[in-house]
Amino acid sequence: MADRFSPVQRYFLTALFCIVSAFGLTFFADDLDHANIVMPLLLVVLLVSVNLGRDCAVFSAVLCVSLFDYLFVPPRFSFAVNDPQYLVTFFVMLVVALTTAHMASGLKQAAADALKREEVTQALYKVAKDLAGALTGSQVNEIISKFILEQTSSKSWIIETQDNKIVRDDMTKGSPFSIESHMATVALRDRRTVNSTALNGADWASLYLPLSTSMRTYGVLSVANIENPQINLKMIEALASLISITLERLHYAQVAHKTELEIVSERLRSSILSALSHDIRTPLTVLVGLADSLSMVRPSLPVQALETSAAITQQAMRLSSLVSNLLEMARLNSGDVKLRYEWHHLQDVVGASLQHLNLALHEHQVLTNIPFDLPLLEIDAVLMERVLSNLLENAAKYSPKGSRIEIGAIEHQKDIEIYVLDQGPGFEANKLEEIFSLFVRGEKESNTPGFGVGLAISQVIVKAHRGNIYAENNPDGGGSIHVLLPKGTPPVLEQEESL
Amino acid sequence: MDPRILVIEDEIQIRRILKNALEDEGCLVSEASTVKEGLRLVGTSSPELVMLDLGLPDGDGIRFIEEVRGWSDIPILILSARFDEEDKIAGLNAGADDYLTKPFGVGELIARMRALLRRKSRSEDEVSPIVQFGDCSVDFSTRVVLRGGKETHLTPIEYKLLTVMLSRPDKVMTQTHILKAVWGDSYADSAHYLRIYMSHLRQKLEVNPSQPKHFLTEIGVGYRFKQ
Repeated sequence: MADRFSPVQRYFLTALFCIVSAFGLTFFADDLDHANIVMPLLLVVLLVSVNLGRDCAVFSAVLCVSLFDYLFVPPRFSFAVNDPQYLVTFFVMLVVALTTAHMASGLKQAAADALKREEVTQALYKVAKDLAGALTGSQVNEIISKFILEQTSSKSWIIETQDNKIVRDDMTKGSPFSIESHMATVALRDRRTVNSTALNGADWASLYLPLSTSMRTYGVLSVANIENPQINLKMIEALASLISITLERLHYAQVAHKTELEIVSERLRSSILSALSHDIRTPLTVLVGLADSLSMVRPSLPVQALETSAAITQQAMRLSSLVSNLLEMARLNSGDVKLRYEWHHLQDVVGASLQHLNLALHEHQVLTNIPFDLPLLEIDAVLMERVLSNLLENAAKYSPKGSRIEIGAIEHQKDIEIYVLDQGPGFEANKLEEIFSLFVRGEKESNTPGFGVGLAISQVIVKAHRGNIYAENNPDGGGSIHVLLPKGTPPVLEQEESL
Repeated sequence: MDPRILVIEDEIQIRRILKNALEDEGCLVSEASTVKEGLRLVGTSSPELVMLDLGLPDGDGIRFIEEVRGWSDIPILILSARFDEEDKIAGLNAGADDYLTKPFGVGELIARMRALLRRKSRSEDEVSPIVQFGDCSVDFSTRVVLRGGKETHLTPIEYKLLTVMLSRPDKVMTQTHILKAVWGDSYADSAHYLRIYMSHLRQKLEVNPSQPKHFLTEIGVGYRFKQ
């Protein structure tokens, strides 16, 4: 009720209430004992102190004591006192009235404070709810500025630093006041509130609160033009942790969204490659089938026609292998391809390559030299089979019919070397490295005929396995390609008990 | 009797080539271009072998395999033009017997078909306890493995792996399938066991373990035993 009136009005009301009550009591002056007149007057003081505040309560206490003296104590209607013992009455009455006034208004104040705190809590709840709905950093900034302006009449702004421990000037663009970058940096780095009263009042932010969680730092909350120096720092700090949690949520939502996008684009990419593979292989299948069916015509076609049909089959198969290489290249170059690593015995991979190239190798003498106790290798077997097939195919293509091709492996200390040797013409000495770099960007396209994508994709695959590939010319003629793969730590097998 | 073959393939050109090649081999060919039609024909024309393209317009070939496997163990040969190994594995796990990746030679196709049909007729014959391949022979009744007439010692796991491989000649078995059959369900992801024991088996039973003739690797998929 106290807030509804101006101070002058309150004092007027107090005086009015006291005087009316005191004069009212004069009608009973003859019937009532003086002690019983004091009581209602103390009640008046109590009512005033509850309703009109401490200042009016003190005023009413003094006024009531005076009115009692004037209106009731003999000689009545004079401030003179005949009997000195009334001085005791006045004294006790004043003490009781003042104590009452003090306590009542203290309670009143406490209630008002509680109400105020309740309002702040409500406001914090509301702002927490608003923050929960925020989708961007600028929305958070807006909600917070509005809240701080309402609660403390101060301007505020969030400096976003994106997990950076330093506040640079370019991060403070757009703020409604000047920001001391150094102080903001200190707040961020030390994770503590920095409050500079020196800057207060001017158009500078004077309060800096770090916005960080245990995981990351997100920025600094700056507050300026603090009119009330008794600003509720606790509340602002609570607010800062609310903002931190919100920014963290936004950060992880963003990360999740990005991951989802990547998954979708990866799926799209693989379905495009798959469709492409299907669309190219279908006509190739038809081509191979048609050529093969020529060779099955009865009665048999002339020898030349049969040779032609065999050549068509062979070329279509090469085209298919080229397409596979290109698609694999596209897949590997598209970025974060997950290789399907498993522990393999090289024997399996070499065996599969030889089986796969059966036709292309049948005019050569193939020698395998894989130690039986070679440790397992952690590789993507499908890709590594492609590497070995490419190397063997090249060896067969560039060495004379009937010559020897050797594929083998050697265990070194840190890695395992796989080699393919042939008895062909070898490589041009100055092109030993160039033969792999068909697709290296920024380099001139290789003119080496025929090496094609086979070696290039082999290099890409080997590099993806954290390995190395290089070409050599052998001292006794012929070329060789070497693949080095890191050994790693193969899993241990439980030993089987022998029969 | 002439074998009856059902070809399920949506590309009319490929279907024509398959039909011609198979008829030259003396087969009776029925054709379908969708999963639905294929399922109907499996019921009505009672083929002895199905050639199935995985990418059919009205659904996944895998679904076809699953439905057919519900009531029949007729051999199924997958013809795949897909990029991924996973489709083949899914097809084989669903119950297909073998796969060919497009483009394939007609000769290879006929050879695979013959092998599957042979296996079927063999399994209908009286089962012999002795299996022979290369210079080896395995007698399942006495658990004796001979190589070049001399007994070869196999550990229990090697012997178990051998029986699993020999149980379905010419069928591609996925590595998950072999692991579960030999080591049990909890070893389904321990492929390195399979690699090591397969190399032991080759060391003991193949002439050249790096150029195997019987225990063949289907890279990225599994293994196949060829007699």
